[in-house]
Amino acid sequence: MHDAGERFRPFEHEGMYALFAEIRQTVPVFYAPEIDYWVVTRREDVIAVLRDHERFSAAVATQAVVPWPPEMLQYMVDQGFTNESVQVACDPPRHTRIRSHVQGFLNPKKLQSFEAEVRALVQGYIAAMKGQESIDLVDALTYELPARTAFLLLGVKDIDPRRIKKWTELRVKLMHGHPTREEQMAAADDLLDFWRFSCDLVEQRKVNPGDDYPSWLLASRAGDDSRLTENEIKSLTFALLLAAHETTSNASANVLLELMRRPDDWNALVNDPSLIPNAVEEGLRYVSSVVAWRRVAKEDFELGGEHFPKGTKLLLSLASASRDESTYENGDIFDIRRKNARSHVAFGNGIHFCMGAPIARMQIRMMIEELTSAFPDMALITDEAIEIAGVLTFRGPTRLPVRLIP
Amino acid sequence: MDKQKITFQFISANGESQEVEGLTGETVMQVAYDNGIEGVAAECGGSMSCGTCHVFLDEASFARIDAPSESEMDMLDIVSSDRHATSRLSCQIKLGSDFAGAQVHIPESQY
Repeated sequence: MHDAGERFRPFEHEGMYALFAEIRQTVPVFYAPEIDYWVVTRREDVIAVLRDHERFSAAVATQAVVPWPPEMLQYMVDQGFTNESVQVACDPPRHTRIRSHVQGFLNPKKLQSFEAEVRALVQGYIAAMKGQESIDLVDALTYELPARTAFLLLGVKDIDPRRIKKWTELRVKLMHGHPTREEQMAAADDLLDFWRFSCDLVEQRKVNPGDDYPSWLLASRAGDDSRLTENEIKSLTFALLLAAHETTSNASANVLLELMRRPDDWNALVNDPSLIPNAVEEGLRYVSSVVAWRRVAKEDFELGGEHFPKGTKLLLSLASASRDESTYENGDIFDIRRKNARSHVAFGNGIHFCMGAPIARMQIRMMIEELTSAFPDMALITDEAIEIAGVLTFRGPTRLPVRLIP
Repeated sequence: MDKQKITFQFISANGESQEVEGLTGETVMQVAYDNGIEGVAAECGGSMSCGTCHVFLDEASFARIDAPSESEMDMLDIVSSDRHATSRLSCQIKLGSDFAGAQVHIPESQY
């Protein structure tokens, strides 16, 4: 017998990797009573579930872990909150239909075409850091930059990225956190504002189309609800306003933190920038910004030698899977030269694979390229504690204080 | 219509070949998944989002089956290993009788 279920604290990141390292070899799956999910620990099983969209539904992927109070739900409906599951939390054939439209814009080639603009954005942030002795990298770079990149995709120019970040944090907490009832009720109006902002954006593009994501979707819809509805486009825009930056902010801060903790690795990247792309992959493997993702079984199934009934909810530990010793030798060691780092599951696997992966990778790589070039002696201020914000699925430091010059 | 069994070969980057069998309508990527073929990462499960299921076909098979779509051609521009004249994304090749006996070469790297 084991006590993994009692020891696993789904909303706390302190000690999470150590627990998985201890149990992964002997406990492929365990029940977490606090959230009523079965936690899957091995890479092979995690990938098998992610690939098997016939038997495992994504319907619970972004469901509120703490259900919204009925009064809040009613209030949201009354106020016109018609957000619907469009991608990450829906299954084929709906997922296939919607993805076929999204694909035309969020594809690797199109995303690569933003390279020069993203580079200019990164350089702008780095330039603003120059002349300072010490800085919080989260505040000065990783928090805002991905939101500005998202604005490039959306054709948005004149909005404070921090406004979007605040809305996003609230939405993440409502979906994947454990808010109190009071916090849920208090969040309703802000969430509505965020939704209305997304709707307004789509309405504006109907009048003045541009070369951006909502305009692309409207053109692809061609006025035909059977292809894509306007509400689906609003929901897709609402989704992108979160997904396009939240995880990249966390991922870039995670990688930078690990590099700052290892001055030898940082110096290696300063001296040989060609190592940076693999260091990005190793960072995504070693500390994924998405530590877990959810599925629910559509039929009875077997996993890790146990039998489970239809309706079983699974929490796939991407954190554990990406350190699984059966694939990664010394998986709990951070190694910027690791040969198979890129085979991590930080972006998922199967039909829900992250469509923004190319631009996420691009941004993290460019941040490290520009930082190693501008501040080769950058070092962690070690006497300040690093906090990790706690939600079920996402992980990233809230601060990353560094000295820019020796 | 009854599904037919289609037999073809995967050939690894170091020249080892493995004969596999799939059913008409399945994709080459699916057959690779089902047979545990190494080197076809196919991260996105066939949604044409990752470019990590890249393969090269023998010339005759490439010419015999349906040509790649425009979006597949776009994705082939960004694959990791060098693109060949007979490059395809294995998730976009559906098995039909015209694929029997095909040789599917796996590139050295998908990343």
